[in-house]
Amino acid sequence: MAEFVEADNAEAIFTRIEHKSSKIESLLKQYKPVEALKTALEGSPPVTKDERCKSANWIVVHRAIMAIKDIDSLFSALDLEYYDVLMKYLYRGLSTGDRPTCDQCLKIHEKLTERAGLGCILRCLADKVNTV
Amino acid sequence: MASVSVHQFAPCITCHAWSPDQSMIAFCPNNNEVHIYKMLEGKWEKIHVLHKHDQLVSGIDWSRRTDQIVTVSHDRNSYVWSLEASEWVPTLVILRLNRAALCVQWSPKENKFAVGSGAKTVCICYYEQENNWWVSKIIRKRHDSSVTSIAWHPNNILLATTSTDGKCRVFSTFIKGVDTKHSSSGSDSKFGEQIMQLDLSHSWTFGIRWSPSGNTLSYAGHDSMIYFVDDIGPSPSAQSLAFRDLPLRDVLFLSERMVIGVGYDCNPMVFAADERGLWSFLRFLDERKQTSNAKYGSQLSGTFGKLYGQSKSGSNEANESSRIRAHDNCITSVVPLKKTRDATVTTFTTAGLDGKVVTWDLQKQQDLMAYLQG
Repeated sequence: MAEFVEADNAEAIFTRIEHKSSKIESLLKQYKPVEALKTALEGSPPVTKDERCKSANWIVVHRAIMAIKDIDSLFSALDLEYYDVLMKYLYRGLSTGDRPTCDQCLKIHEKLTERAGLGCILRCLADKVNTV
Repeated sequence: MASVSVHQFAPCITCHAWSPDQSMIAFCPNNNEVHIYKMLEGKWEKIHVLHKHDQLVSGIDWSRRTDQIVTVSHDRNSYVWSLEASEWVPTLVILRLNRAALCVQWSPKENKFAVGSGAKTVCICYYEQENNWWVSKIIRKRHDSSVTSIAWHPNNILLATTSTDGKCRVFSTFIKGVDTKHSSSGSDSKFGEQIMQLDLSHSWTFGIRWSPSGNTLSYAGHDSMIYFVDDIGPSPSAQSLAFRDLPLRDVLFLSERMVIGVGYDCNPMVFAADERGLWSFLRFLDERKQTSNAKYGSQLSGTFGKLYGQSKSGSNEANESSRIRAHDNCITSVVPLKKTRDATVTTFTTAGLDGKVVTWDLQKQQDLMAYLQG
């Protein structure tokens, strides 16, 4: 029964992520990369242990992260509440080992650490429950 | 400066406690001994060495009324020391632990003391007059991991704990024959009964304390969070506060509205509640007019400077800022000193891995006084 509920839940999450994805594409077309990133981070990390859901959400967030060109303007528009979850996705990006992704994540990481402090990194490293 | 005195006692201090009249300090210099120092003619002199434990002493508490010292150690034992003539005489308290004891505290009435341990248990110890013996009662099967810190409620019954399973719990420690019924604040809880469990932190939790009235609890998470809990009981209300710097190891209520947090930033942090009871980070205590942004920037460039041998100005700046600080390593404990009539604390001491004991006085900190009254 519990497995069934989990699967059902996963379906709902997938639908939500797909919906998010199309919204992000249209925001990117309108040259609103910050709005796109906010949309991608909303509802993240998905409340599930299902790795497929997490991967699907990461693809969406990755798309939005890579679209960011001007990092300074990103932080003037991004609210505090997104900092912790963004940091988690930056570490996921760095763990891929993919050159362009790592470059972009490191650039954002530097600015984010300046703003959110070492505490933000600690919260990201210490949290074994809400992984992205 | 908010720090009034700094004294280097040892290379490293694991725990410290003050005598009732605050003329003497007992601390463990990171080994199996407890050293007692007294201020004689303006100089700290070592007057006693308590040598009985086999391993690192992890907790010391000095009772105010009975003038007894309780120590716990990684050797799984506890001793209660009493001054007879001019010698400290130990009495062994068998805790019945199979892991290290980590922290100890006398209850407010000083008829019991509590020990947190690595055996996922808390021991409540009390003196049995008939047998002339300290007895240890154990709260078992409640914690999923080591108990890192304990705190007594002013009512002498409730005990709050933090542990490395990330939870904060409150227990009743009512012991028949030691506690009287009416003192247990309306609740007739049995010994070991869990009053509350909070699962707010995703990481280890440390350093729990009650506010002077016992209405608010505060503890720290190892993920750079501090928690404030009101309405202790079946439906508690909690505030989680994330801050931008390194995690805390210990906290201390100075008044109902002000908390000092100490930890890996080597600099005590001040947290305060506004009129609506919302807690926020106020400032660092050991700081000349410097924004945390600027401080952070200099630290970062200092580190990079060391790594790459570049950015010389940056590393100088970092050295300078560490020199003006009172502590230069992680602060692991904070202990109150003088209390005013209304139970607010204005002086306290901190100690940590750098082996210094720093005394702080808030009397001259104008911006903080408002939070101390009221």
